[in-house]
This record gives sequence, structure tokens and C-alpha cells, in this order.
Amino acid sequence: MADWVRVGPADDVPEGEMRSYTIRERMIAIANVEGDLHAFDDVCTHQQCSLAEGELDGPTVECPCHGSQFDVTTGEVINGPATDPVDVFQIQAQDGELQVLITDT
Amino acid sequence: MTGVVIVGAGEAGATTAGALRDEGFDGQIVLIGEEPMAPYERPPLSKEYLRGESDHQFVRPKEWYADNDVDARFGVRAERVNAADRVVELGGGERVPFDQVVVATGSRNRRFPIPGLDLPGVLDLRFAPDSDAIREAAKTGSKAVLVGMGFIGAEVAASLRQLGLDVTVVELAACPLERVLGPELGRSIEALHRDHGVEMFFHDGAERFEGHGRFETLVTKEGRRIEGDFAVIGVGVEPVTDAAEAGGVPTDNGIPVDGSLRTSIEGVWAIGDVARHDHPVFGPIRVEHFDNAVKMGEHVAKGILGSDEIFDDAHWFWSDQYDAEIQMSGFVTEWDQTVIRGSIEERSFIAFLLKEGQLLSAFSMNRKLDVRRSMPLIRARAHPDPASLSDPAVDLRTLLPKD
Repeated sequence: MADWVRVGPADDVPEGEMRSYTIRERMIAIANVEGDLHAFDDVCTHQQCSLAEGELDGPTVECPCHGSQFDVTTGEVINGPATDPVDVFQIQAQDGELQVLITDT
Repeated sequence: MTGVVIVGAGEAGATTAGALRDEGFDGQIVLIGEEPMAPYERPPLSKEYLRGESDHQFVRPKEWYADNDVDARFGVRAERVNAADRVVELGGGERVPFDQVVVATGSRNRRFPIPGLDLPGVLDLRFAPDSDAIREAAKTGSKAVLVGMGFIGAEVAASLRQLGLDVTVVELAACPLERVLGPELGRSIEALHRDHGVEMFFHDGAERFEGHGRFETLVTKEGRRIEGDFAVIGVGVEPVTDAAEAGGVPTDNGIPVDGSLRTSIEGVWAIGDVARHDHPVFGPIRVEHFDNAVKMGEHVAKGILGSDEIFDDAHWFWSDQYDAEIQMSGFVTEWDQTVIRGSIEERSFIAFLLKEGQLLSAFSMNRKLDVRRSMPLIRARAHPDPASLSDPAVDLRTLLPKD
């Protein structure tokens, strides 16, 4: 089952910024890259730090703990020490709300 | 055309091979490393790996080298980077020709001639088997004696305390990391370890290790006798330049390279711990940290493929100890101003180190985002207003000089 879950108002995340949300017991980060929103697992695959507490540079998020870099649009690792990608989620703005597509596992 | 030979398969060397393939290089790559194991990450060896919380983290999956047509020679020693003949001479006598060679031979632990150094139970930490030996000793032992309290000593002390051992450290300086951090900040590390029950003696060093068949007692220069089940020495590293020197590559406290990581010999590059690179902000420096090894590996791959870009990374490393996230950015050996944001007592602070108003380095416990944000300022040679630096409400990004 996958469904759209409301996370906050559509204008919650300013351009160039990230915010972290707890959605169904998952930490999910939303980044605003030049007006486009991207949702991804807010848990670095290296040592579980919050990526939303790191820095966003274009589509690249850098983990504040050990410097791993991920592409927020795909979840792919750009630079280690992390080796595994982070999950990404579909996101939409609907009726003034941000919604993320969550698959129950 | 012959290909790229990488001498040294630590983080820097393995990253170079990976980055070359990532960048689309399809020529021959030979990666030579003295350790038999596929390249792995060293930071965990003093931390989570030592505590038995994680297995090895490989730089690339073990199969990656074969899958990507990288001729990996692990467990092989390169004796000579022969610059005149443009071959790397291996331990077995084989000669591997190169068009470009990347020297990434890293560093080795300093060893001082201390009596008793060869006793079983006198350990040090550099490679994975060293970490295994310490972990093994910690399983049966209950008391560790550490010599030296730089970053490795401090991390090992923390990990051993976390494993429940008693830990006593002797250090020649007045506090941990005094040479790097100065007394005020070094004492923040001392306080952290004091609170976690580490016994520390400063202004004191190892005179000799004693024991009947294995280590039992450290006798210090000040005449202390410190008993323990094993000892770990962590008194710094020195660059491994043997193969370069033997082959005619100039060395001088490492291998000097220019801003783009080239040595004075065409097609000979040096990266990682062994490279003394000419940094546009800091001048010629040698950096012995993980992040630098990664970034230089990526940089040299681009250089080999034609880029002339200068390596101007601000430099950065972390040192997790207990629950303290310790990080440092930049590089400085002498500074005339320290500006604190946050509270040293509450272990949530960043200390900005400035010289003649220029921000050169930052050291932090538990304010990691500010460390990351200090790096563009360092790279831009910023002279930020101290009042803004010390004010937690000021976003460091706003202090970046305009153009």
C-alpha cells in the first residue's frame, strides 16, 4: 500500500533550505532546490545522522557528521564515506499542502 | 600508451582508481597496495570497529576492482617509483611501466626507541590487524595504558572506556592535543575524558615498558609505574616516502606537490598523507586526515584527465569521542585570536582561530553545522567580525565576503 501523507503547508521549505519531518515513524527530509521539492530519507546511510541538519548546495546534501554527500533528486551517493543511497520519495503540493508518497512495508 | 599506476591502496589511492573510472577513464589502471586486504576505511579502526560495533567498510566493494578492469595488486610492496625509467619496481622484481603515477603511500606510526617496545602487549594502531589486536586485548584485559593523547590516543581512550576498561594515559604535553589546539581548547578534551573516567598524566612520557614475557608496567620519565594488561602507543605519524625517495622523486617532509598535486616531475603526482601540497590559503601543508585523502583522490583523477584546477579544499576532519562530535576545519599552527561561539563548559561550542583577523581554522564540539559553514569563509580568506562569529544567532553564511 502506498498513500500520500500530508507533512505540512506547501510553503514550509524555503528555496535552498531543508526541513526534517517524522512521518509514520520515519525521518524524512524535504529539500527545496531552486523551487523544486525533493523528499528523501533523513538518515545518512553511513552512521544515521540527520541529513537535514547538514548543508544543501544545489541538489547535493552534505551530511554534517562525516561529510557524505547525496544527490537529493535520486538519493545516490556522490561522495563517501557512505556507500549506500538514501531512499527518495515522491512529493507533491496539493490544496496548499505538502504530501509525500509513503509505501508501507 | 601505458596507463596510470597508483602506488598505495589506502583511502587516497583507492579513491583515485574509483574516480578515474567514474570520470570515464578507460585506460589501464594498476593499483598497488602493501596490505593484503582490499582498501578499507581507517576512521572506524579507533572507533566503532574497535568497539566491535561494525565490520570493515570498504572504499569500494571488494569485487569492484576486478569488475572495473583495475589491476589490483594487494599485498605487494612497491620498492621504487623510478622516475627516470618511468616504471614502478615491485618487491618481487616486476617492473610496471607508467604514463602517469600517483604516489599515495600514506604515513606510518612514529616509533621511538623505547626499551620494551617489542614486548607482546605493547600495541599501536594504524592498520586493521592493529585494531583487531587491541580489540582482542580488550576482551581479556581490564586495564589499558596509553602513551600519547593526540586524536588517535583520545579516540582509543574513549573506545576502551566505552568497552568498560580502565584507561590511564601519559602525554608529554600539558593537555591532549596541545600542539594542535593550544591549552585552552586542549583542556576541553581533557575535561571530556576526565568526566568519562580516564586517568591522565601530562608532562610525562614513556621511559620503558616492563614485563615478564609480556607487557605489565609502563615506567614513565617522571618515574611513575603504571600497570596494565596492555599498552597502546599513539605518538603521531610520519610520511612514507621510501619508494619515492629510492626512485628519485624529490621528498621533503613528504612529497612536495604544487596546487594541482603535481610533483616537479612530469606525470608524477602525490596525494593523501604523504603529499605536502601548496595550498592557496595555508601555504605548503601536509594533511593526515580521511576527508583530505578522499578529496585529493578525486582531484588527482580529474588532473590526470586534463584539469588544471587548484586543490583549495578548506580541510576538515571529525573525531567522535563518547557522545561528543568533535570536528575541525582549516589549518593553523599559530593564531593570535580565539573567538568562542557557544559554551565550552556545556560542550556545545565552536572556536574560531584567527590570525591578523583572518579566519584560518575552527574547532568544535557538537556544533557541526557551524564547522561546515566555516569552511567557505576559510577558503575565501574572510576576515569576519569577531562579534558576529561569537553570536550564535548569526548565520555564518552571511559573513562570506561579497565577491
